[in-house]
Formats: sequence, structure tokens, C-alpha cells
Amino acid sequence: MSEDLGKIKTFDQKEWIKENISYHKDSGSWAWIYHRITGIALIGYLFLHIYSLSTLTGGREVFEAKMKSFVSPMFMALEWILFIFVLFHSLNGIRIVLVDWADGARYQKSLYRISWIAGIILFLAMGYIMFSHEILKLFGK
Amino acid sequence: MYRYQSSKNSGATSWVLQRISGLALVVLMIGHYILMHYHPDSGHTYDAVLGRMQFSWYRIVDLVFVTLGMYHGLNGIWGIFRDYKLKSWLKLSILSTLVILGIAFIAWGYNIIFSIPYLKNLT
Repeated sequence: MSEDLGKIKTFDQKEWIKENISYHKDSGSWAWIYHRITGIALIGYLFLHIYSLSTLTGGREVFEAKMKSFVSPMFMALEWILFIFVLFHSLNGIRIVLVDWADGARYQKSLYRISWIAGIILFLAMGYIMFSHEILKLFGK
Repeated sequence: MYRYQSSKNSGATSWVLQRISGLALVVLMIGHYILMHYHPDSGHTYDAVLGRMQFSWYRIVDLVFVTLGMYHGLNGIWGIFRDYKLKSWLKLSILSTLVILGIAFIAWGYNIIFSIPYLKNLT
């Protein structure tokens, strides 16, 4: 018995990563992975957000000098991309709550597909809200 | 006889709180995004911030928002660490780091909100 113990496969980090990457994943596994990635990104953003808004304590000039870098089209595009993270985490979060509390395990796959469709629509709607002002300016209104 | 071996509590309370705070954050977050972006000035000028902060209810919403966001985010990070078998000293140090970070950033957020003056007090 004690001789067999030596042959038992022990934890090998390299193998573990390989197995996890190659493992066939359904929508649920991808949702789980994306939920983590978006969640980590969002809490990271919240730290930065509180840090950058701390200029508010310095009054108008300090705050508006800081904000100047955040109104460029480049930064606004990044904020729009951040909304993908918000939407994925929100919609998948609702899906998780439904699975936990509303028998959602029975329809979680269609929920996942519906979330993607709703997410794309909301993403485009937010794009319109964010950039409508700029677009209208282009047409001289 | 089986019991939870790693800790005294099952984590059920934090699980429920994560669901509830998450649902609240969905509403707050989407509202926040629309409010800050419906006009380029609304999220980026001092006047817009000052105007909103004249309403005490708006301040309260903001305080709740930053608290729930920090709690939900750091509880989520803690949940990721809980997926792995960590040595208890490591667990304790990670947990205390997260708690301290959370308290510090929530306090920082509160301080920012309270630092914005009520205009009626200025005149």
C-alpha cells in the first residue's frame, strides 16, 4: 500500500493549466471565466475611480484640470468598452441570481443567449447616449 | 459525520449579501452610466457635480453606491481566493488586506462626497 502511494498522481501545476485550457467548455464555464475577469477589472476600475475623483476635495480648478484628460474621444471610447464589462457582469449576475433563486438551472443556457442579445442592444444604446452629442455636433446642430 | 472543515461558517450570509448587493448595483451602475454620459458636461465638470450634490438624497445614493460597490467587489475577490486551498496564515493576511483596503477606500469616497460644499452654506 505504501509503495503504491508513490505512484499516485500529485498536483502538477503545468498539467493543471493544460487540462483546464483544453477542457471542453460549455456556455456556463465561459460565463464563469468572463464573470471573474470582468469582476476583477471592475473593482480595479473602482479603486482608480475613487483615486481620480479625490481631486474633487481640491475644488474646481484642481478637479477640472484632472478631468481634461478624461473627455478625449479616446478615453470616452475606453469608457464605452468598460461598459461591455459592466453589462456582462450585470447580465450574467442576474442570470446567476435566477439560477440560484428562480429555478434558472432549467433555462440557464437560453438565459445566456438572451443576455448576449440584450447586452449588445444596451451596448449600442449606451454608445448613442455617450456620443450623440458629438455626432450631432458633426452635422452642425 | 461531515462538517465544514475550513471555517466555522459556511459563507451563506456573504453569498446572500453578494446577490442582494449585486442586484442593487445593476440598477445603480446603469443609472450612473446614463447620468454621467447623457451630456459630455454631466460627468466631467465641477458645476454638474456641485449641482447634483445639493440634494442630500443624491449624496446618500452615492454613499450607498460606493459602499456596496466596494463590498461587492472585495467580497468577490475574497470569493476567488476561497476557491483555492490556502494556508491559514495566508488566508488571514489576504482577508485582512482586503478589509483594510475596503475600509480605506470607502472612507476616502465618503470624504470626497462630504468635501463638496452645500451652496446655501457658502452665501
